Amino acid sequence: MTTEKQLESYLATLRLHLAPLTLGEREEILKEISAHVRDSAEQSGATVETVLARLEPAEALAKEYRDGLLISRASRSFSPLLLLRATLRLSSKGIAGIAVFFVGLFGYAIGGGLVITALLKPIFPANTGLWMLDGHVVSSGVLFPPPAAPAHEVLGMSYILIALVAGSLTLLSTTWAIRVFLGLSRGLEAQLSRLQ
Amino acid sequence: MPKLALKLSLKGPEAEQPDRWEAQLRKGAVEMAALASLWQGRLYGLEIIRYLETHSQMALAEGTIYPVLNRLKTEGLLTSEWVEAEAGHPRKYYSLTDAGRERLREMAKAWTSFANGLSRLLEPVLNEKEKTQ
Repeated sequence: MTTEKQLESYLATLRLHLAPLTLGEREEILKEISAHVRDSAEQSGATVETVLARLEPAEALAKEYRDGLLISRASRSFSPLLLLRATLRLSSKGIAGIAVFFVGLFGYAIGGGLVITALLKPIFPANTGLWMLDGHVVSSGVLFPPPAAPAHEVLGMSYILIALVAGSLTLLSTTWAIRVFLGLSRGLEAQLSRLQ
Repeated sequence: MPKLALKLSLKGPEAEQPDRWEAQLRKGAVEMAALASLWQGRLYGLEIIRYLETHSQMALAEGTIYPVLNRLKTEGLLTSEWVEAEAGHPRKYYSLTDAGRERLREMAKAWTSFANGLSRLLEPVLNEKEKTQ
């Protein structure tokens, strides 16, 4: 294989494994690695083949880029999807990650559920709310049919406000908890990915 | 987070293999080292690798530094710019941001106090030879 072809083949493998990154990020990485290989070969008098051998395999290098970016991007993001993806990546490395992933999933489900029931209250006023009987909560949420008398709905239209506030608080605290966890794990994760 | 990284290295099953342990110790410090190499001014990736080799005997696998630089840039600790070079292709130069300088100061303090503490701890170990004689 000629020198150019060896470099091209390395870069092609790298590009393939960097697929989850944006096009801009990916092309910039390829441009930088390509400049590194040419500079290193010229400055040390080594062949491109030797320089490529000194680099990590393209697949391993791409993995370090992906892990590093995902975790640091997620730890400053508010997107539930990105946050859960990042915890899922960590969950393959330890019990804390698994626990946080399920707590996160649970938190988003409860918080999202509350917000949805608040939105449904104006549409199904008789079927949405909090039902009590003799001072005990019987049921809550959106129910078809609603619990039968003597259980009665106690919140009325204030359910909308209460469910919205409780739901939003749950979503926010879940997001905050995951971000704190990712922030703490970032150094650890970077370390782990290099150890493999 | 050098302390966290170090703790992990010590706990690992590789702790019994001195060479591997030493390699991990170096790797744990790579973020701080990359930031420190830029303290005096901008450098491109290969220059950072050479700088670390010359100034700290920190020999890294050549690819290792690039994902680290990328992550530090995402965190706002570094900026980068492409500069045309005589070599015929542009080079990506990195510089510290204000946040990067501040972070490096904190890291340097934490690292130094940690290292000093450990040195005191290891003093009897290093002096053992003299005592038994």
